[in-house]
Amino acid sequence: MATLRDIQRDFARSLLVPGDGAALVHIADDLAGPAERFNIYRNNVAITLVGALRLVYPAVDKLVGSDFFDGAARAFIKRYPPRTACLDYYGDDFPDFLAVFPPAATLAYLADVARLEWIAHMALHAPDAPALRPDALTNLAAGEHDRVRFVPHPSVRLLAVRYPADAIWRAVLDGDAAVLGGIALKEEPRWLVVQRQASGVVVARLDEDEASWSDLLFSGVALGQIMPDEESTRFVALLADHLACGRFAGFDVASGAGV
Amino acid sequence: MPGIGLRFQHHDAVIAQRPRVAWFEVHSENYMGGGAAIRDLETIRRDYPVSLHGVGLSLGGAEGLDAVHLGRLVRLVERIEPGLVSEHLSWSVSEGHYLGDLLPLPLTEEALDVVCDNVQRFQDAVRRRILLENPSNYLQYRHSTIPESAFLSMVARRTGCGILCDVNNIFVNSANHGWDAQAYLNALPPDDVKELHLAGHAVKPLSNGAVVLIDDHGSQVDAAVWELFGKAVQRFGALPTLIEWDTNIPPLAALLEQANHAAAILLQSYQALAHGDLT
Repeated sequence: MATLRDIQRDFARSLLVPGDGAALVHIADDLAGPAERFNIYRNNVAITLVGALRLVYPAVDKLVGSDFFDGAARAFIKRYPPRTACLDYYGDDFPDFLAVFPPAATLAYLADVARLEWIAHMALHAPDAPALRPDALTNLAAGEHDRVRFVPHPSVRLLAVRYPADAIWRAVLDGDAAVLGGIALKEEPRWLVVQRQASGVVVARLDEDEASWSDLLFSGVALGQIMPDEESTRFVALLADHLACGRFAGFDVASGAGV
Repeated sequence: MPGIGLRFQHHDAVIAQRPRVAWFEVHSENYMGGGAAIRDLETIRRDYPVSLHGVGLSLGGAEGLDAVHLGRLVRLVERIEPGLVSEHLSWSVSEGHYLGDLLPLPLTEEALDVVCDNVQRFQDAVRRRILLENPSNYLQYRHSTIPESAFLSMVARRTGCGILCDVNNIFVNSANHGWDAQAYLNALPPDDVKELHLAGHAVKPLSNGAVVLIDDHGSQVDAAVWELFGKAVQRFGALPTLIEWDTNIPPLAALLEQANHAAAILLQSYQALAHGDLT
């Protein structure tokens, strides 16, 4: 006698693997067309999960077309079924999957656009928190500035890409074919900072220094340990920009030496 | 007044228009992150009762509940303070993989134990009575030994949970499996039924000439389901009733029109009851 766990395991495998018949042995055959009845579930599952990925990756969908997207998404779902019932959190592996998905091999920039879409999606659904006020540091004593450690806003993410994913993403979502056609697909390192603001998800570019400073700032390293001797003007400008854009949620002042 | 299932498409209209509707029900899984969705729901919650209806907890899952997901539900319940919390007699998770649909459960003694354990754990976590909804199914298992209505009744008796009676699902399952819908209603314990659901369904022909009714929530409530709703109201009383519409979602006005239709049937039953008391 099959246990409930056996039945559910067989049912799940048949849902995810086209042509798999393990579930059919458990279905009562006094009903007409058991295989067709099972296929109703197989289709429902595909529609729900492909639909969830399409919501997260609208620019990828538009770049490759809906038939290609369906095929890629179905292959991904079979390989990486969701591990969460909250489908807002499903699909983080899709960019890496696309990077090695043979039919997408000629679209070298596709995985980078997908990486940006995942980060933008995470920013959109990040927990709410008030942004640190830009004037929050004005009341610190002179010796305290070096010991300030920031807490990033929950929606803020840094991303390194090889292709101009931000320009492609914007042009695709705006439906602007002229701008899209004019983007040079030169491969070189690029750094992006992504956050949710009241108007929606905002993406800005950073240079290499700004990206490495930001990484330390968002990791809670004290200002005195990040502040470069040579480039302090650029560093302070970056810090002012992060504060003005609301990229921090808070800060504390580390006690004593050794920070 | 009945309530309506609230979907993202109608957030702005509800906040702007404040329609005359008694309450809203949402899918819990759509409000587990931050950002606009939960902010809208909190705005709406200030003016309306809200019910949280889950689709992902997998109460029929043999491997028990996902503690992370249960934790997200508990936090949402604490944040929204819903009037009702409900889930389905179905499963969605196997070997840690969430399958994205409300899947049919073999109705056996083993499954009954599993569902009761999971419902108990759910109720303990949210510290309240939950409602369990009868499912719509397109197939049956050779293993099943317990009629669905009896299975639900036993879960309610053993765990103290209530029953969410989806009238459309009873209609769909009766058509798909050759059951007697009125007998199903009669088999549910009236004191445990606390909410009614209504929705549209589709008719899918199979290649052998048979048809399957699909619970797609994509159209108006069918005339025969309205008739069955009248019988449910006769048996269970004028309970909180919900209009659900999840695919091909129409403008808000179409849902309000369906809710008005349900209200008229609820009112008739109330008047008939009052009249009966007098004579």
